[in-house]
Amino acid sequence: MADEVKEQNTEKTELAEGKKAIRVNVVADKNAGAKNFIVKFGIHTVCILLALLSIFPFWIMIVNSTRSTVQIQEHALSLIPSTYVIQNFQILTGKSFNPAVGLLNSLIISTGSTLLTVYFSSLTAYALVAYDWKLKNAFFKFIIGVMMIPAQVTMIGFYQAVYAVGMTNKLSMLILPAIAAPATVFFMRQYLYPTLSMEIVQAARIDGAGEFRIFNTIVLPMMKPAIATQAIFCFVNSWNNLFTPLVLLTDSKKYTMPIMVSLLRGDIYKTEYGSVYMGLTLTVLPLIIIYLILSKYIIAGVALGGVKS
Amino acid sequence: MRKKKTGMVKYGKYGYIFSLPFAIAFLVFQLYPILFTAFIGFTDLKGVVPGEIHVLENPFENFQQVLTNPVFQGALGNTFLIWLCNFIPQLSLALLLTAWFTDRRWKLKGQGIYKVLIYMPNIITAATIAILFKSLFDYPVSPVNDILVKVGILKEAHNFLISKGMARGLVAFIQFWMWYGYTMLILISGVLGINPEIFEAAEVDGASRWQVFWQITIPNIKTILLFTLVTSLIGGLNMFDIPKLFLLGGPDNATLTTSVFIYNQAFSGSYLYNRAAAASMIMFFIIMFFSSILFLLLREKDTDGKAKYTGVSKKSEKKGGEA
Amino acid sequence: MKVFKRAMAIALSACMVASMTAGCTGSGDTGTPSTGTETGGTETGGDTTGGDTTGGDTTGGSAEGGTINVWAFTDEVPGMIEKFKEAHPDFNYEINTTIIATTEGAYQPALDQALAAGGADAPDIYCAEAAFVLKYTKGDMASFACPYDDLGIDTQAKIDEAQIAQYTVDIGTNPDGKVVGLGYQATGGAFIYRRSIAKEVFGTDDPDEIAKIIGSGSQNWDKFYEAAATLKDSGYGIVSGDGDIWHAIENSSDQGWIVDGKLVIDPKREAFLDYSMELMENDYHNDTQDWSDAWFADMKGEGSKGIFGFFGPAWLINYTLAPNCGGTAVGEGTYGDWAVCAPPVGFFWGGTWVIANKDSAKKEAVGQIIEWITLDCTEDGLQYKWANGTLNGEGGTKDCVASATVMAMSDGTLDFLGGQNMFDVFGEANSYANGKNLTQYDETINQYWRDQVRQYTSGQKTRDQAIADFKQNVAANLDVTVE
Repeated sequence: MADEVKEQNTEKTELAEGKKAIRVNVVADKNAGAKNFIVKFGIHTVCILLALLSIFPFWIMIVNSTRSTVQIQEHALSLIPSTYVIQNFQILTGKSFNPAVGLLNSLIISTGSTLLTVYFSSLTAYALVAYDWKLKNAFFKFIIGVMMIPAQVTMIGFYQAVYAVGMTNKLSMLILPAIAAPATVFFMRQYLYPTLSMEIVQAARIDGAGEFRIFNTIVLPMMKPAIATQAIFCFVNSWNNLFTPLVLLTDSKKYTMPIMVSLLRGDIYKTEYGSVYMGLTLTVLPLIIIYLILSKYIIAGVALGGVKS
Repeated sequence: MRKKKTGMVKYGKYGYIFSLPFAIAFLVFQLYPILFTAFIGFTDLKGVVPGEIHVLENPFENFQQVLTNPVFQGALGNTFLIWLCNFIPQLSLALLLTAWFTDRRWKLKGQGIYKVLIYMPNIITAATIAILFKSLFDYPVSPVNDILVKVGILKEAHNFLISKGMARGLVAFIQFWMWYGYTMLILISGVLGINPEIFEAAEVDGASRWQVFWQITIPNIKTILLFTLVTSLIGGLNMFDIPKLFLLGGPDNATLTTSVFIYNQAFSGSYLYNRAAAASMIMFFIIMFFSSILFLLLREKDTDGKAKYTGVSKKSEKKGGEA
Repeated sequence: MKVFKRAMAIALSACMVASMTAGCTGSGDTGTPSTGTETGGTETGGDTTGGDTTGGDTTGGSAEGGTINVWAFTDEVPGMIEKFKEAHPDFNYEINTTIIATTEGAYQPALDQALAAGGADAPDIYCAEAAFVLKYTKGDMASFACPYDDLGIDTQAKIDEAQIAQYTVDIGTNPDGKVVGLGYQATGGAFIYRRSIAKEVFGTDDPDEIAKIIGSGSQNWDKFYEAAATLKDSGYGIVSGDGDIWHAIENSSDQGWIVDGKLVIDPKREAFLDYSMELMENDYHNDTQDWSDAWFADMKGEGSKGIFGFFGPAWLINYTLAPNCGGTAVGEGTYGDWAVCAPPVGFFWGGTWVIANKDSAKKEAVGQIIEWITLDCTEDGLQYKWANGTLNGEGGTKDCVASATVMAMSDGTLDFLGGQNMFDVFGEANSYANGKNLTQYDETINQYWRDQVRQYTSGQKTRDQAIADFKQNVAANLDVTVE
């Protein structure tokens, strides 16, 4: 694997040199077309390699979900699917929990927290960029400061608090804290700062629009690429979050999908790896779908985000 | 600049109103845990069923113990080393890909698919990735060993995961591979936020790709770059999942990061919450120190970049001023 | 809903205090915590007759009804309780199961919180695995464990009758000398070896003969290493990796890792450095790690050289060796080519202990379940079904159980072992195992120890350096004095 990276790196430098060459000759050169082709060819090669590297773990995971536990224990990695899909699925559904409920819970938590995070982070960021208020800088510094606190140990306090007020087994305890997402606010603020055109806001004010309406109808659409990016990250994070739900949700009707997979893995004496991979695959599929839906805002191209003046 | 507009003061109260939900959610859900952590670093809180909490006679005892702990010092070194080895290539590759994928003249075919796929490693849980790499490099039988022996590079299977350097390198590589797509998406979304007219103007002026990227794209995503640097610093110095799951911080503590150290203090048996909290606070100050440097450095360059850019073309200067 | 519950709790709390103090069999600690009382109200609140049916005897307890919270890290024990309910239709308690995996280390923090918090969600019955059971029976959480005697069980008499393996009793005994936890499975370990290799190298595959050759029960490893040398001459390794002998070495030591709050490296555990090095230098193994691909390959006989045997309890045969032997009938892979004999040094590996919460409001019912699982040595008890693989119908997995009485009544013959009755060996192995040298930090300390041993045997550092680094790791991460 290290060799591959090296290869890519050398390729990269070659490409960079190629690019330089083009720049020197500018457009008029007759060879430009050919060179352009070579550069593009190089870029595609690198991209295809990177893409293959990215697909690789998914392929392994999906293939393993079709293999029996014994096959997986013999050779953890295989590129060739086997025939144990149904058995693995039966083991997964034969446990004391229901994967469909797990998917639903995961969906509720992830969708809820993603919506809250992106909306309120954008709102907070807008407050930090568009208005002048006394505590603005202090508040911004405070948000940055909060972001830097390591997560592992503040967890202890969070659990204690949740247990103390008896709010375990409530999905809302995993959703509502998402309103305050310092890193997302930071990103939105950094995004909005050079992008936001106060002229447009002023124009809307003159037209008689209220501040809240301006934010919802003018500013939010302007932030689409940022929102899409952060929504993806937030959704993925929330979906894959294991530790917090694991400790807070002890009722099997509230389990999320990752909790169920970790239960399968936790059967130390006879771990059914085939069904673990089946569970992992089922966990990741909805993520991929959501990601593909949201990614159109990133893929669509340049026209989306810009401010038309 | 444009932020000092007249009439801003009148709307100032909306600044407070719009940040209120964040502030409330923070107060309700996060303030107590944070204060709690900050406080217990000075106390004798430990054990599964902690007794009454007392502030220590020497309130900094836990901090002293952590700072003089050779394992913590080693972990701090590992953390920085692994972060640097992952972040420098990560940012370089992400910038390169951003340049390729946002180039308006190339209009690279299939870039949509590339963008989607390259982020994919970030979707899989760290536990799966850890198992995958463990199997890849396992000893004495593993795909990597099998291939290297077959090709003749190795005479017999080699135990990669027992060498400290190799283990650190692999953790850094996994981090790099899991996160360069994320960084790329962040940067691309920043570029998409730039007013397209600026690019159009530069094209009309005949600026080369190189010039466009360094003199238009980079200065205009400087705020996003700052975000990337700061969050990556924070994420990197709090690196936890992969070091914990891949080799449990081993071999011989080679991949023990400070976050894993903190976790071990708190959860590996003695429940040393107080020392874990002290170590957390130490990490907090270290991260804050380096972040402040980044903020200082990039704030100065912010205006520089804009000034340089105006030199490229008069037309785009005009447009840029409007934006 | 919440408001309603709270109101119910307040309204019924007075009556509940009365019923609960009457209901618990004379152990005064049940009624004391105020949270326990209040939530007890919400639990049994639906049952208006609760107050007068608490007669104190077992049948009275069953009639009371309510919910019993069970916490476990797999669905094994909850599954057993289902069967218990099926077999006892008059047992009218609801079972509320919480299963949290031990992966990511989440089970213990959650269980600890739930025990400490008390209330409606507090576990009545909870399970602990060998790796951390000490914490709940002798260590920091022992104060929550209810002595079996207080559950209405005549513990000592039952233990004697069922001949429960001594090491499981030792582990489940709290510092006051009372039994608070017992298991159903026994995990005493044996040496599980390949018959064909035994015949080829030693001329016999008879378990008694092989036992002599590897020095079974000798409490030292001399004979075993002699056998290793003989096997080497024929091109075989005696074990797959050094992890295989570790459990036996760990369990053979006279002292645990911690004595009076100080780290102790027992000479027998320190010797693991040398035994492991000997395996490495003489090429007596394939240098695999447990649970890696290569380790499983050796079970099929497909490693770089043939491997003679593995150390393990019955579950290793059932869940690990048998599925990975490359076949499902005699003649396929290594199926049927195995046999068990006693190990040179007794040991156990894994196991689950069942513990009751001293604050539980339903001690009678909890006691019935626990007695059925851990101490009932009749054919209706769990262990008989467990040993004969009949809990979930005929033909299930046969496993060793804690009760020697039950094993004597049962048939442990396996085709996988060439028709050997494994209970003959494992019954003895269970009595060799030692439950007195464990500490609640073993999981963490073992990890540091084996990491350093690997560093030493792979030539990364000297023996002294490995020991020094091990001590440093323990000192840095645990609240243990290191000299």
